[in-house]
Amino acid sequence: MKKQFLFLLLIAVLLTFSGSSFGAPKYKALIITGQNNHNWKASNSILKQLLDQTGLFTTDINITPAKGGDMNTFTPDFSKYNIVVLDYNGDSWSEKTKTAFLTFVKSGGGVVVYHAADNAFPEWKEYNQIIGLGGWGNRNEKSGPYVYYRGNEIVRDDTSKGAGGTHGARSEYLVKTRNFDHPITKGLPANWMHGNDELYSQLRGPAENMEILATSFSPAKEPNPPAGTTPAAAPRGKSRVGRDEPVLMTLKYGKGRIFHTVLGHADEGGGPAMQCVGFIVTFQRGAEWAASGNVTQPVPVDFPNGAGVSLRPDFKEITLDEDMAKIVSYDIGKSTKYYTDLQSRIRKVSANAPELLKLEKLMVAVLKNKEATAEARKLMLRELSWMGSDYCVPAIKGLTKDAAVKDEVDFALTRLKAKK
Amino acid sequence: MSHKSSRREFVKRSAATVLGAIVLPHIIPSTAMGMGGKLPPSDRVVMGAIGVGSQGKSNMRDFIKLKDQVQFVAICDVDTVHQAEGKALADKANNNSDCRLYGDYREFLEKEKLDAVCIALPDHWHGIIYSAAANKKLDVYGEKPICRTINDGKAIVSTVKKNNIIWQTGSWQRSQVNFRHAAELVMNGRIGKIKSIEVGLPDGNRGIGTPPIMEVPKELNWEMWLGPALKVPYRGIAHYEWRWTLDYSGGQLTDWAGHHIDIANWGAGLDKTGPIEISGEGVYPREGLYNVPIEYDFLCKYANGIEMRVDNKSRIVHGSGATWYGEKGWINVDRGKSSASDPKILQEEIGENEIHLYKSDNHWQNFVDCVRSRKETIAPIEVAYRAISVALLGEIAMTTGQKIQWDPQKQEIIGNPMASRLLSRPYRQPWTLPTI
Repeated sequence: MKKQFLFLLLIAVLLTFSGSSFGAPKYKALIITGQNNHNWKASNSILKQLLDQTGLFTTDINITPAKGGDMNTFTPDFSKYNIVVLDYNGDSWSEKTKTAFLTFVKSGGGVVVYHAADNAFPEWKEYNQIIGLGGWGNRNEKSGPYVYYRGNEIVRDDTSKGAGGTHGARSEYLVKTRNFDHPITKGLPANWMHGNDELYSQLRGPAENMEILATSFSPAKEPNPPAGTTPAAAPRGKSRVGRDEPVLMTLKYGKGRIFHTVLGHADEGGGPAMQCVGFIVTFQRGAEWAASGNVTQPVPVDFPNGAGVSLRPDFKEITLDEDMAKIVSYDIGKSTKYYTDLQSRIRKVSANAPELLKLEKLMVAVLKNKEATAEARKLMLRELSWMGSDYCVPAIKGLTKDAAVKDEVDFALTRLKAKK
Repeated sequence: MSHKSSRREFVKRSAATVLGAIVLPHIIPSTAMGMGGKLPPSDRVVMGAIGVGSQGKSNMRDFIKLKDQVQFVAICDVDTVHQAEGKALADKANNNSDCRLYGDYREFLEKEKLDAVCIALPDHWHGIIYSAAANKKLDVYGEKPICRTINDGKAIVSTVKKNNIIWQTGSWQRSQVNFRHAAELVMNGRIGKIKSIEVGLPDGNRGIGTPPIMEVPKELNWEMWLGPALKVPYRGIAHYEWRWTLDYSGGQLTDWAGHHIDIANWGAGLDKTGPIEISGEGVYPREGLYNVPIEYDFLCKYANGIEMRVDNKSRIVHGSGATWYGEKGWINVDRGKSSASDPKILQEEIGENEIHLYKSDNHWQNFVDCVRSRKETIAPIEVAYRAISVALLGEIAMTTGQKIQWDPQKQEIIGNPMASRLLSRPYRQPWTLPTI
């Protein structure tokens, strides 16, 4: 008995330290930060946490000299890493470091371009080939075309004059998946809400060997009405004038794979743009793809969709135990997400009898739990009605005299074809 | 209570009078009647309506537009505001104030003597009320989708057939020329042998969170609105918005199956059969009262090798509508528009010796014509069942996350007792499905 306990403890310890990959992480990542017009002090440790929690990466952080400092001292050894994550928008790197970075990418190193990193180095040609599209820093028609979607058509040849890079007021916004076959976006919803963030628009750049994985609609700015006049009410549908701007992209540079995300504006502690499960998961999947060309991470149950934003305030995926604990005190007026998470978990294992039975046992425990609300028991009965085995039937029959759940007990027993 | 005798009884009496020796022509040109173009009351179809919310009233208006061919004499709805609105439409058309009102369909069916009834209800009520109306030998214009579950659908089909009534499904796209023409082009091989089909249906709605429990409005009989569905407190979600909650609907997927899946089936000649294998994934809201899939992507394989993919429109190239892919090209048809790999195909006419599909240019007129002629309508019950069963099987595949094997003849899921439970939603007591 004692031995068994120690064994279980060992397993638990192993699980805690090995992440999901059950072994040493496969890849090494380097985050470069230290200068940014954004809160890099908040973002860099979160990005490291996100990479490390996949169990695929061990992550180092290299903080450059402060703005105006001696950039000759910034000489990371890129060759030690599988991917470089750019959270940097500041002073030029030394020629030596630039060359080393390009060699790294050309020879097959992966790059993740994060948010304002696409503002950096407007004059560095090769860097702009790596990021594909950039903004600000006096970028204009000389930087390359605007690239965006108009309806379902990609526009790659808009060479009209104008500045590159702008964004409207921060808001939650809908992201449209444009490529359902790419490893990074395979299995994602077509539409998903992103947490409160800036939406970069009108980026421009060489955009060579670039694929757009996701876009978001950015309404066109209305010209200011002439002074002294009242703007006329916008005709119906007028607000839909604008562009679907790229928000997730992949590129090839030499043998290197680049994942570019414009999402994730950092506030103190990350904020909703970084807490957004859509940002987190596409960042993690994009990093794995940049490192390997594949994605092995499943789409988690809490991925957002068109119905609303999904946040991880502590940047961790919700566990089954947390879902079940919340379900016990279920009140539909408060939140349904723990129950819908459970439904997603059931869906993933419904053809796997032993795994399904594990969930069924937890659900039956809710039925038997004196603390559980009637609402919680009703929901368990609805689910058990189709996915339950013989295991749940006695517990359901035990509720026959419970007036609060009478209809749901009938419902479940009828569907399970169990004798009442 | 005695009511106006219906046309059906009139015909029966006439037939009895003439001892069946003379068969009256069913359609007499109204100008021949010497009544200023009006049909005599004996030739009008006497109708009632059950469910006169937005779709029910819309159907009433379309029937009333047929001038004096139809007369609405009674209305049933669980909402007294709806009742009054329906009565206003009927009384105005009839130029009287005689339309009778009911809150309970059982009383309505018991007391009214009608030829036909127009039914537009939330899906969870279809099994019971369609069957009950058919058992009363009423001809039915019934809204799609015809059932919330496969088992409800099987019961409705068999009840309609056994009672030998005229049935028209509200799949009105069949009575639109661009849909018929596209289906005829496909059926006559203009894009070669069909390999696959894509059906694009609307994306789901955004959620509304979970509204608070509210007092039921005095005009609404909430208990009767729920009927066979599990009892839940009223949160302001009833009319129209029921389609975002799984207890009453499968969402846009089942709402639109009776349109674009129906058309896809029509052109491909699949409207009397079903798929043999169904698999796919749905996307469900995490938060809030609405719980229907807001995205869906499932593949149906048919015994003849055709594959039909059903998706929310954001996931597929042609977006909304039915798209047939043949060996020589493709045709997409949607409301108000058609497109093709070669636009010239769309200009082609169907020759005299080619296959011509059932032609109707007015869905409601077609029903009335068939009530008179006793011929099959353009959207009969089994065809409607085959359209919605594709969506309901997709729903089961998405709910379980499993590949479903289906026997389209026996209409059973093969070798999967767990998934088979989802073929029905048990009714809340005391409701049961009427049997003949």
